[in-house]
Amino acid sequence: MTREPGSASFPAGSGYSTSEGPMRRAFSSLTRGVWVWYTFLLPPLLLILVFVGYPTLLAFRQSFYTRTPEGQVFAGTYHFERLLTNSIFWGALGNTILLGLAFLAIVIPLATIFASMLNRVRHGATPLKVIYFLPQLTSSVAIAIMFHYVFQPDWGLLNGGLRSIGLSEVPLWLADPRFNLTGSRAAVTVLAVWAGLGYFIIVTLAGLQSIPADLYDAAAIDGATPLQAWFTITLPSLRPTFIFLIMTGTIDALSRFGDLWTLGGPGGAPARSLQSIVMYMFQTGFESNDFSLSAATAVVFFLIVLGVTIIAFWGFLRKEFKAMK
Amino acid sequence: MTETALTAKPATTQRRLPADWRSQATMSVMLVIGAAAMVLPFWWMFATSLSRKANVSMPRTPSFWPADPSFFNYQVATANLPIVQLYANSLLVVGVTTIGYLFFSALAGYAFAKGRFPGKSVLFIIFLATLFIPFETRMIPLYLMMSDLGLTNTYWALILPFLAGGFGTFLMRQTIASIPDELLEAARIDGASEFRIFWQIVLPLCKPTLATLAILNVIWRWNDVLWPLLVTSKRELFTVTQGLALAGRTQGIYTGVALATAVMAILPVIVAYLVLQRYVIRSVVSSGVKG
Repeated sequence: MTREPGSASFPAGSGYSTSEGPMRRAFSSLTRGVWVWYTFLLPPLLLILVFVGYPTLLAFRQSFYTRTPEGQVFAGTYHFERLLTNSIFWGALGNTILLGLAFLAIVIPLATIFASMLNRVRHGATPLKVIYFLPQLTSSVAIAIMFHYVFQPDWGLLNGGLRSIGLSEVPLWLADPRFNLTGSRAAVTVLAVWAGLGYFIIVTLAGLQSIPADLYDAAAIDGATPLQAWFTITLPSLRPTFIFLIMTGTIDALSRFGDLWTLGGPGGAPARSLQSIVMYMFQTGFESNDFSLSAATAVVFFLIVLGVTIIAFWGFLRKEFKAMK
Repeated sequence: MTETALTAKPATTQRRLPADWRSQATMSVMLVIGAAAMVLPFWWMFATSLSRKANVSMPRTPSFWPADPSFFNYQVATANLPIVQLYANSLLVVGVTTIGYLFFSALAGYAFAKGRFPGKSVLFIIFLATLFIPFETRMIPLYLMMSDLGLTNTYWALILPFLAGGFGTFLMRQTIASIPDELLEAARIDGASEFRIFWQIVLPLCKPTLATLAILNVIWRWNDVLWPLLVTSKRELFTVTQGLALAGRTQGIYTGVALATAVMAILPVIVAYLVLQRYVIRSVVSSGVKG
């Protein structure tokens, strides 16, 4: 397993250990001084403090202050109250969560099936992988423009295809803001699955290839059918992969912006059906100049992402701890 | 145990052969259908971008080859959008941020992996903490900062915030930590300066990780639209993705022209991907980070 979230984001501590020649190294670092390391760290540290740390603190601070011509005025939790009673905010948050859940609920099973087939097929797995991964490299903006036409009700690729197989009543897709399986939300979910499937397949495939082959041999000796082996060996072994994909997939879904903005503008037309939480932040902060409301949204967004990360780590590490016992 | 395995194995393969052939065929058919679903929209877009009539009326049944192939839409698209300028902007922004990101990540990663100095853990935690701050949380204050500094509508605004980051630093630290200390110690005894060791010994040994980081950064920066929308409003400074997003929202009624614009924006990326696909896929998988 090379893609466990733990290994991607946790300090492993391997660099701290000095097993050999501590005396010599201590001497060498004394003679050379420690300043060289500080000069190495200074430029990147400054960049991070100025462009990451400082604006983050500003976002938190702004959510408790109001910008007035006379300067910043403390506002307490006023902006959070404003935010939490704002139906547009809840609509955007609801959309983001709904679209994210629908996306994950479709893409993970689909990717598992395709990855399992790619893992077992004897010919052509490599070119197929390259093709499935192709949309991942295309910007979400370009994909949105393409799908704007694919979903065009009168002559789009999808409805044209549906008509040619004999359907006369074709959906409106992006023009229909209602909550249904043929409306704008369904359309952008199809788009997201189409665009994201390749990444989910490739990661699942790597997970499949890390399952030891002797597990399957043992199951075959016990007389298990390939399907039984898939359910009793493959799926449980993919648990870390699924947790990883759910975590990264959730964070990506929460940050969704480019494709929805291209299709529906900052308001997420039609009828705000495609407005995501980041688009709401963009609209309140950048277009309405309501920086405090935007900052309060940013704080809520930050807490949600952090919560998802912690839950995923907990879900992942819990099993690691059990395995250690 | 081994005896059962040896006797059982040929039996199962023999028993499964006919069924295996059938399942191989079924899987191949399904995989090819899936691949067709991936390619078809791209192909349809490309075919439509070659049709002049597409701007006026589209065939009700999708056509995968235009009856009137021409480069008319491309001529209109290049007249509407300074595509060469957009490419130059994207290449500049992506190039400078990638070089900076790699350099500073490696520099900090080296200090964290091999340096011995007070405060190392605290500093490393500061770098790591940035991994948990989504860009979206700080984008509006960052935009206001750029605006206060008078940097909006300059290349600086597109470059400065992305020169250093926790992810790159962490990845480089992990790689550099695996370099044997003896190698660096030998160079130190020869009197090489710490920066020379970094430049001539550490960096060449990190080429695979640097390539991974470069590929990821190019994908991130090339495809980003949120930040360019915030800090640049002048056409001369638009990146390809931003220009495409804004053009897509204004020229949407001219299907052929809009799709020709989209093709021009993504074709070079697709060609680069097809050439480098092995490295690109490996980078994304090994780092566990989406492009």
